[in-house]
Parts: sequence; structure tokens; C-alpha cells
Amino acid sequence: MIGTFFWRRLHSLSGIIPIGVFLAEHMFINSLALKGKSSFNQGVALLHSIPYLFAVELVVIFLPLLFHAFYGLWLVYLTKNNVLPYTYFRNWLFYLQRVTALITLLFVGWHVWVLRFSSGLTAGNAFSVVAHALHSPAVMVLYIIGLLATFGHFTNGLWSFLVTWGITVGERAQRVAAYVCIVVFLVFTVVGLNALGAFI
Amino acid sequence: MNRKVIVVGGGLAGLMSTIQLAERGQKVDLFSLVPCKRSHSVCAQGGINAAVNTKGEGDSTWEHFDDTIYGGDFLANQPPVKAMIEAAPKIIYLMDRMGVTFNRTPEGFLDVRRLGGAKYSRTVFAGATTGQQLIYALDEQVRRYEDAGLVQRYEEWEFLSLVLDNEGRCRGITVQSLTSLEIEAFAADAVILATGGPGMIFGRSTNSTINTGFAAASAFMQGATYANGEFIQIHPSAIPGRDKLRLMSESIRGEGGRVWVYKDGKPWYFLEEWYPAYGNMVPRDIATRAIFKVCVDLKLGIGGENKVYLDISHLDPHEIDRKLAGVVDIYEKFVGDDPRKVPMQTFPAVHYSMGGLWVDYDQMTNIPGLFAAGECEYQYHGANRLGGNSLVAAIYAGMVAGPKALEYVKGLAKSHSDLPVGLFDEAKAKEEAKKTAIFALQGKENPYRLHQELGNWMLENVTIVRYNDRLRKTDEKIQELMERYQNIGVGSGAAWGNQVVPFTRRLWGMLTLARVITLGALRRDESRGAHYKPDFPERDDENWLKTTKAEYSANDILFSYEPVDISYIKPRKRRYDVAKEVTMQNEQ
Amino acid sequence: MSNETPKEVALLIKRCPNPQATAYWEEFKVPYYPKMNVVSALMEIQKNPINARGESATPVAWDCNCLEEVCGACTMLINGRVRQACSTLVDMLSQPIRLAPLSKFSLVRDLVVDRQVMFTNLRKVKAWIEIDGTYDMGPGPNISQKVQEQAYELSKCMTCGSCLEVCPNVNSKSKFIGPAAIAQVELMNSHPIGAQQKEARLQALMGEGGIAECGNAQNCVKACPKNIPLTRSIARLNRATTVQGLKNWLNR
Repeated sequence: MIGTFFWRRLHSLSGIIPIGVFLAEHMFINSLALKGKSSFNQGVALLHSIPYLFAVELVVIFLPLLFHAFYGLWLVYLTKNNVLPYTYFRNWLFYLQRVTALITLLFVGWHVWVLRFSSGLTAGNAFSVVAHALHSPAVMVLYIIGLLATFGHFTNGLWSFLVTWGITVGERAQRVAAYVCIVVFLVFTVVGLNALGAFI
Repeated sequence: MNRKVIVVGGGLAGLMSTIQLAERGQKVDLFSLVPCKRSHSVCAQGGINAAVNTKGEGDSTWEHFDDTIYGGDFLANQPPVKAMIEAAPKIIYLMDRMGVTFNRTPEGFLDVRRLGGAKYSRTVFAGATTGQQLIYALDEQVRRYEDAGLVQRYEEWEFLSLVLDNEGRCRGITVQSLTSLEIEAFAADAVILATGGPGMIFGRSTNSTINTGFAAASAFMQGATYANGEFIQIHPSAIPGRDKLRLMSESIRGEGGRVWVYKDGKPWYFLEEWYPAYGNMVPRDIATRAIFKVCVDLKLGIGGENKVYLDISHLDPHEIDRKLAGVVDIYEKFVGDDPRKVPMQTFPAVHYSMGGLWVDYDQMTNIPGLFAAGECEYQYHGANRLGGNSLVAAIYAGMVAGPKALEYVKGLAKSHSDLPVGLFDEAKAKEEAKKTAIFALQGKENPYRLHQELGNWMLENVTIVRYNDRLRKTDEKIQELMERYQNIGVGSGAAWGNQVVPFTRRLWGMLTLARVITLGALRRDESRGAHYKPDFPERDDENWLKTTKAEYSANDILFSYEPVDISYIKPRKRRYDVAKEVTMQNEQ
Repeated sequence: MSNETPKEVALLIKRCPNPQATAYWEEFKVPYYPKMNVVSALMEIQKNPINARGESATPVAWDCNCLEEVCGACTMLINGRVRQACSTLVDMLSQPIRLAPLSKFSLVRDLVVDRQVMFTNLRKVKAWIEIDGTYDMGPGPNISQKVQEQAYELSKCMTCGSCLEVCPNVNSKSKFIGPAAIAQVELMNSHPIGAQQKEARLQALMGEGGIAECGNAQNCVKACPKNIPLTRSIARLNRATTVQGLKNWLNR
């Protein structure tokens, strides 16, 4: 029987595989911009050369993303946050997970709409299209906020994933995992913002 | 035939009665004042006694039996006590199978420790919250039968009165929802009362606030006999609070805690000095009187108060955590000191009623069809209860009451469903009228303050040391309170969720039982177990080796006495300065 | 100490005569005593039900029983946070002390709520050990000190509702049974006899309102007055249900 248990676990999993993996891959390709315009464009070209591209995108990216987003909205709705009376660290992270979820959803929606569907981005013009999109300082600021929210949501989700699937059980394991996730967050932040800077 | 049994009370005795009945396929309606998991059994700390002999000390059920009879100063009828003691190891094994988290020996067997009045380690325990773990296990089993449709629980319903048919048989009860205050009558073929002790009569005690003894008092006022009411156990160690006197388990002494006060600037371990054979492990009545003597007669209490040191600061902190978890936490939370480092300061407090509803060896009261089990009956402890025996008595009484009630029900010619409906309507109408009368009380007296006054008088005059003139005055005072009761004001609150009206009803029961206790003490001119009169300092077997039986008649309480069954162990002088063997030789 | 003139304690109590009525706050002043707890303050109001403005008030309804933090009855919101009124000392609190009923359970009156749902949850997850019967079967199973010590921690749960009260995923919109019942599954599953029905309990936990609804806010473990390692139980059962879920899927 497929019930809440299945969907919740799938939701937890989908945030890591494939979405988290894709996020890492995305940051890797972005970082090619540090090596110059043509490197980045070559990277994009490589991606565009994937056979059955649309089907792959649909199954590996869009469907998981849509599921994760909309089921996640339902979960946000189900929550009654209480960080004011109960100011525990984990409670704050639990709350921020929901706040970053909403920010990430808006950011990713906007980002995908602009750069994937309406900009006419091709392997040839990729760098300049992105650079053009990031031209305004306001957009840049929104991108920084969006990226930080995305990385925070992903890394905290990674910690939560480890608990939810029963991988980190003991208090110590959970604490160590938290440190690891902080490191992952920092790595993503450095890599992500660095790549962003390469387009200026 | 359509059969139904009602159990009133969701503590150990009530739950075990329910399980016994359900296990035999009998449907049960279970009524409890509070959710069963919040019953007073949760407060039991030290452990549960059984001669499981897992320490190779050579303990036996006979030793346990003898300690219990001797510790109870020979007032208990011996056959049911012997049966209970023999069942005790099986009860422990059963509770173990049900998942009670008893402490273990390094090899994984049941760990045991010593409690007062015993030379053997025979108290099985789960930290220092044994009662809590036991009742949870029974509650879970009842939940299982609830799931199977055999048990219907009515939690937060209060027992009001018995429904008696024209033959004088108990045929049901009236109850009140404590949420809506609605009254209902429930029919049954037998009723088991397992409603706990009456500690609230003494105002503050180690008891929970629900322990008013109202159910027993109500049955008493409807003709049930109340036995040995004057035997009230005062526990030697509790910590004072304005709301409650919190128990500091006897297991603290069992694990090596020492009792002392300063004398001439040095610690004086008076129990060890006065009772070399048992030391700190004397029974509760002995320890309490010794503390009274030290504090009141010798004026050596801490800061001139009725307080002594209970010291575990010399014990291994890890062992304390493992074996005394629970009580040590309570002390830390309410007093603020860490007992691992600083000696605790404790003082005696009302703890347990050895007396209760009179029952026969089948746990049936003098009212046919009405059974009683647990602290609300009198059967197992004589004049003083040994630590660790209350839990076994509560569970054992349930194991007897359940099957015996079923046996009784099967022997009935008529089922409850054959009885006229009018019988129950009438009982309900009577209680409705009483409720209306209480709501109509709009005088100047506050019921809680009247209760406090009762408690102060009882505490002052009917506890550790008793004098006849003071007992007489106390009875007069109680009667004065009963007059002032008519001038109570219950306030203007609506019925829904009203707590003052039920409390006011319980107060009448407390006043009634307070008279039973006080008058019983007044009449018994001897000293035995927890009952001590300096004017009659010796036990008087010739005149008083008898069970007190109180009966309610109009507005008076009538007393009669029945001899004690001493068919196994001949009474001998009770003393704890020497080993038990010495007292036996003296008799020969 | 006794020579000091007693100070007063101010209490602000959320009053509500029944679930349909609108709540209001009423202030009371009671005499102060050293080391007094919130229960003692409420008892003073019972004895003298006059509010701070000197008007006679309807007596305040509140639950209590054991008064030593083993029964769970007197759990309420004290200055906005869940606590037991018996073990909360007035000295630790800022005044006026605000008392309100638990917010995650249905209200009865004033500070009294109905927590039956917690017992229903225990029934849902089959939190009992299926023994053959109460007749004599000899000694129970041998259990190591280590297993006992862990089980004992879990067996102290007094169903007070603190963990449900603080859990953001327990509320009127969700069906989550909360941490208390989940920890009881671990307790039952850790017992050698109880382990025989392990799968049935795990299946129950994988059902509606079960363990998957936990969002790892971990407030429960902080709020538990008995220091029960609730989040460890949840994580262990997360693992057990993961394995059980794979078995359900692959072993068919």
C-alpha cells in the first residue's frame, strides 16, 4: 500500500537524489565560467549533447523538482511553527527549512523560467545570456539570497535525510553529521558565489 | 446469560482484576477517576517484594511470610498473607514477562535489594519508580483487551454509590463524569472496588490528591464494614512541601543510606545504635517513632525541627543513578540540593492505610457481590506494612478478586439484566438529588479550608503518637466540621468541568472516614505496629489481638472486634534490636 | 526566613468555562512562600477564590494528582512554555506567572484539557507485550543490564503530552501521533517477548500519522521532563521502518 510513509520518504530522498546531485552538477558546470567564457559554453554544449535531453531533463530534474516542491508546500502547510516560545537550535533550523523552501521555490521557478525557457540560451551564447541576465545589481542580490537559501535548504535537508532514513541514529552521529553538513554548506556557498562572480 | 462485572479504580489492583476477568472472557466496565496511567500506584518507588532468592542468601517464602506477619505485629489474618507471599515470585515473573524494566544483575537475572524489616534482599525494583513501571505494564495489557473489545474504559468518571437490590446484593454503581458532571447508573453482576487509600484525610501526605478514600467511605455509608481503620502508616522519610509531602523511598536506606542527627557536634546514627541487628533497615513504624523520639523528646532534630539527615553522599554516584533514579531527581528538583553530595533532610509523613474495607479470603466485602482489592481493603498488612509489600498485595488482591468475582457471578440465579430498571433509575435519582443539594450549598465556609482544618487536626493528633484525650477532642472537632460542612459555599461555577462540587462531596467521605480512624484509635488501648499510645506502650494480645470492624449506622459508627487467624505463626514479642531468631528462642 | 514579610505572587490565568466560550485572562494574587511551586499557588486560589481586583471569581479548574512529576496530570503552559505545575517553582519564573492550558489538546475548562488521544495512539501502535496469559510460566527472559538501562529510560514516559505540545508537526491539521507513542514502540520492541510482534508495531508506525510525519525539529527531546531520549528512539525506528519498508517491497 502506498501511503504517507512512502510519499514522505520519497520526498526526503528526492531532495538528495536526484535534486541534490543535480545541484552539485549544476555548480560544477557554473564553475567552468571561472576558466573563461568558452569553457563554460563547452560545458553547456556537453550537457546539450545528452541524447533524449528533454526526457532526461523531465525525469531527472523537472518531475522530481515539481514533486518535491508541491509535496513540500503541503508539508509547510501542515506545520505550526513555534520558534518564539521554544528557541532551540533544531527548532530554528526546522523553521528555516520551511522559510528557505519557499524562497528556493520562488528563486528556482524564476531562474528556470528566465534562463531555461525564455532566454533562448544555446551552447553558443550561454555565457553572454547568463551574464546579461545577471547584469542588474538587484538581480545579483536576489541571486545571492536565492543561492544561499537553496544551499541552506539542501544541506539541512541532507542532515534531515540522514535521520529520516535511519542512517544517523545516535546523538553523536547526528552531531557529527551536522558538522559535515555545515562544511557542505560552506563548500557550496564558496563554489556557488565564486561561479556567480565569474559572470560579472 | 448476559454477565457484566464492574471494576472501579485504575491502579494496580483494579487493572489486575480487569485483566483476570478479561482473560477469562468476561466483559468488564472499568471506571477510573483519572486516566489509569495517572493512578496513585505510579508513586510507589522502592520495589516489590518476592523471595526470588537471586542473591544466594537463602531467602524463602516462609521467611518472607514470617517477616510480614512479624512486621505487621500479628494483626493480619495469616492464611491470605501466606497465599500472597507464596504467589509473590510468580507475580514478579509475570510482570517481567509483561515487560516491566526491572533492574538486572550482571548476568541478566532480576536484581534484588533490601527494604526495612527484612534480613534478606527480596525487593525487585525498576530504578526507584517501580510502581510507575508496574502500572504501565498492566495498563498496556488492559489496552490490549480494550482493543479486543472485552474492556470498556470510563476514565475521569467518579464512583458515587453502590446499587443494591432488595436482597442486599451489589448490582451496579452510580458514577459521575468529571467533565460534564452528569450522573449515570451502570448495572452489573459484581463490582470490584480498587480505589486506593485515604491519605488526603491527613491534609498533606505522600499520597496523590485523588486519594480521598471517598469510594470506600461511600460503600461504608451503604453498609460495607471498614476494618482496622486506625492503622495508618507514617513513613519515616519525606520532604516537606506546602502542597505535598514527597516520599523519599525506603530503598534509599536499602541501598546504604544512613539516618543521623548531630549530637554533641558529631553525627549520631541513632537507628544503628538502638537497633544493632537491623540498623537503618528497621520497619517504618519503628524508624518513625525513633525519629519522633530524637526530634521531639530529645530535641535533636535539624534546626530544632522534626527533621533528620538521610545520607547517601558516601555511595557511588553511578550506582545511585542506576538504582535510585527517580527519587534523587525529585529531591534535586524540589529541594535544590544534590543528594550525591549533600545529606538529604527528611521527615516523617502519612503514607499508607493498613486498614480498609473488610473482606473475606475471597476479597468479598460483607455486601454480597461487592469485592475490594488493593489499599482500599485491609487484608494483608496487619498493624504495619513492610516496604515493598504494598505492590505485591495490590496485584495479588486483583488476581484473587477477578476470578472470585467471576465465580460469584456464575453462581447467581438472576442476571443484572433481569432486574427492574427502576432500581437503577432510583439510584441515579438519589445521586442527582445529592448533586443538586451540593450545588445549593452557598454558605460561607470554603471546602478546601475545611479540608485543611481536618488535615491539621488529624496530623497533629492521630498519627505517630496518640493520646485518648486528644483523640476524643479530634472526634469532637470532626463533628464540628461536619456541622460547618452544611454552611459550605461551592461558588457560582457552572457544572461543566466543575471541580469544587466533586471535591465537596469527597470531603464528606473524608470526614466520615476520619471518624472511623479516630474512634478506632481511641478504643484500641494498646500499642501495636503503627498504632502507638504512650499511655499503653505495650502490645496487649489478650484484649486486642483482634480486627477492628466499624459499621455505619444512621449517624453513628458502631465497632465490633473479631479474632485474628494465627494458625501458622504464634505471636511473639516484636523487637528489632536483636535478630528474629532470638525472639523465636525467647518464646520457646 | 519566617520573619520576612511574605511577598505576593501574581498569576495571570487563562480562563474559559467551556470549549465553546471565549477565553479571557484573570489575575490573582496569592501569598508567597519560599520554594513554593505553581501547584501551591493554585491551591491558595482554591482556598480563597478572589481575583486581584478583589472580586469573587469562579474557582479555577486545573488538573493535578501525584504532585511529584510522575503522573503527568498537571502539565500546562507556564509563561508560554510547557511544564508540570508541580515541579515548577515560583522562584524560577518571572511574574505575573501566566498559566494557560495545553494548546494541542481539546479544552475542557480553564487549564484542563482532554489528552485521551495519547492513549488512543498507544493503542494504534500496539504498545503492549502479547503474553500468553497471566498463569504461571516460570521466570521471564534473561535481560542484560545494558538493555534494561536503555529500556528503563523509555519506560518513564508519563503520557504528559509535553512532547506533543512542542512538536510543530503535531497540530489540528496533521494526524501525527507524536513522539511519545513512537518511543513506546521502541520500548516494546526491545523486550525479548515484545520483539515477537515487532513487525506489527512497525507496520502501525508506517501507517497514517506515523513516524514519517516527524520533521526532525527535535523539540520533543528538549521538552521531555523525564529526559527520555525521544529523538534516538525516532531515529532507530526510522531505520527499522526503512528496512521494514524495503522488506515489504522486495520480499513479496
